[in-house]
Amino acid sequence: MKTTKPILLLLAALILLVLSFLVNVSLGSVSISPSEILSGIFTGDWTKASREQIILNYRFPKALVAILAGIGLSISGLQMQTFFRNPLAGPFVLGISSGAGLGVAILMLAGSAFGLATFGGAINPWAIAIAGTLGASLVLLTVSLAAWKVKDSMTLLIVGLMFGSAVSAIISVLSYFSGAEALKLFTIWSMGSLGGLVWDQVWVLGLVISIGIIPVIASVKSYNGMLLGESYAKSMGINPDRLRWLMILSTGLLAGSITAFCGPIAFIGIAVPHLARMVWKTSDHRILFPATALIGASLLLLCDAVGQLPGSAQTLPINAVTSLVGAPIVISLVLRKNFSKEF
Amino acid sequence: MKEASIVGTNLTLGYAKGKVQKEILSGLNFELFEGEMCCLLGPNGVGKSTLVKAILGQLKPFEGDVLLRGKPISTYSNEMLAKELSVVLTEPFLPGNMTVGQLVAMGRIPHTSWTGKLEGSDQEIVNNALEATKTAYLRDERLSEISDGQRQKALIARALAQDGKVMVLDEPTAHLDLVNRYEIMHLLREISKSHGKSILVVTHDLEIALETADRFWLLNCGTPLISGLPEDLVISGRINQLLPGESFRFSIEKGRIESKIESLKFDISGPSEYISWVSKALEKAGIKELPEPIEVSKDPFALRYKGLIYKSVEEFVKQCVTE
Repeated sequence: MKTTKPILLLLAALILLVLSFLVNVSLGSVSISPSEILSGIFTGDWTKASREQIILNYRFPKALVAILAGIGLSISGLQMQTFFRNPLAGPFVLGISSGAGLGVAILMLAGSAFGLATFGGAINPWAIAIAGTLGASLVLLTVSLAAWKVKDSMTLLIVGLMFGSAVSAIISVLSYFSGAEALKLFTIWSMGSLGGLVWDQVWVLGLVISIGIIPVIASVKSYNGMLLGESYAKSMGINPDRLRWLMILSTGLLAGSITAFCGPIAFIGIAVPHLARMVWKTSDHRILFPATALIGASLLLLCDAVGQLPGSAQTLPINAVTSLVGAPIVISLVLRKNFSKEF
Repeated sequence: MKEASIVGTNLTLGYAKGKVQKEILSGLNFELFEGEMCCLLGPNGVGKSTLVKAILGQLKPFEGDVLLRGKPISTYSNEMLAKELSVVLTEPFLPGNMTVGQLVAMGRIPHTSWTGKLEGSDQEIVNNALEATKTAYLRDERLSEISDGQRQKALIARALAQDGKVMVLDEPTAHLDLVNRYEIMHLLREISKSHGKSILVVTHDLEIALETADRFWLLNCGTPLISGLPEDLVISGRINQLLPGESFRFSIEKGRIESKIESLKFDISGPSEYISWVSKALEKAGIKELPEPIEVSKDPFALRYKGLIYKSVEEFVKQCVTE
């Protein structure tokens, strides 16, 4: 009974994911019922050609991106929280999102700041993704060099946070000197967006996320060992240095690619691992990794759906919605008396 | 003849800072035998942790080598070492929602495949470890909801499930109450006998260690490591190496540390087991001599002094102080 309960919960989470997916794709400026979508997918019969267009080329890619981003962010968050043994660690503690932000900021803002004409104003989404990737890689590389020097994980955490602040400061300086148009573009990017990706980009994102998950699967046992701290992990034959590199590689790929394509998405990475620990009441990563992935994907799909609801024609920026949903979760967690014991 | 699981010969240990080597311990020689519980005692800061690190293979000696079952410990990989040697550390933060059963199962990490799935034989070893430490009834309890003593036993069970030849415990009885201290140390002794393990315990509990250990390693500043039967060390007085300075000494009769008694001038007669307690109470009250003899009697306790009878030592001490 003890081993089947978590599996049943995982199945329930999978069903939740499917439902969230259907809710997500059926909502929008045109409401399309889930039954119509299902019949459209399975029979190829759509009531209107425009609906086929909307579903296949706009909502499906967006929902898939939400799933990929939800999985990637929450799994990176769980890795960071376990590795650093810090309940407030998230995918971005090593400065990845600031790095991606810097790349995009240089692309969007530096042009106007230095009075150069770049890209003629209209910015290609591939250019943004590449700039984000470069920025994230640059910061991650610098943090990795530091990680190579530092032996202890707390120091690495602090170094990561310091890098993040330093990079954010550069972005602020760039913002200060840039024009209103460029600033608005950058601000919108920094609010995150799941939509606007074409299928090609979705495939690239999917590929990168899949690669980023491989090191996680390979080191499930090591993460379990890390629960008792680095010294115990070492005594059980686990190599924390190797794990650290795998973690940097994995979160770099996961969080880096997501931020590059979708902009920064807050809270999912911090809140979802806690939700999974609360629901499954376990610290076994063989359960927690699939659990956080499922919950993360569902939650981001639902957040995206919430963002569509109010005006139906307008959408709220995803980063605002996740923070609005995420902040109460984190606050209520912190207020729970036995929070520190559960971690 | 018992086999030595761990042998250290002419070890020099320390930390390198840049090109400067800072020596902490030198000329260390020791042996840890199979089926033996050994206690490492010494004052804070003398280098016990450094020695333990070298034994765990986490610190490379400047000179000499630590041999684990005949092979230098530096030739072991992390994974191989984990199968020979397990630890109980002073790690204050354990995940609260992990159950005792899960904690003990973690001991199998070095032995399982990459997924960490427990096979039937692993499960059996976990069960045995829970039985041996008398923690089977706690299997489904969460670590945040059990007492410190129970948690320490669960950690010992985890180390036992790791199934190495050697177990190293760093102050397993710190922060525990008196009964738990005795229980833990006796438990470790039992395990060393029943499972044939070599157990090294770093501890400051001299009295309990005297009760339970097969061997003592004494570390002190500036002297080589002293290894021997606890009883030999007591008889030869070398146990006093633990107590530098003049103010304390180990009482060979009472088996405990006492402050050096400045020539006390009491004339106490009566049952011998009472005399020392009465003089101890007087000493604590700052009374160094009494002109007349004291008579103590048993069943019921009574103390006669200057013709007056006292029912407790406290009454008597009060009287003496007021005089």
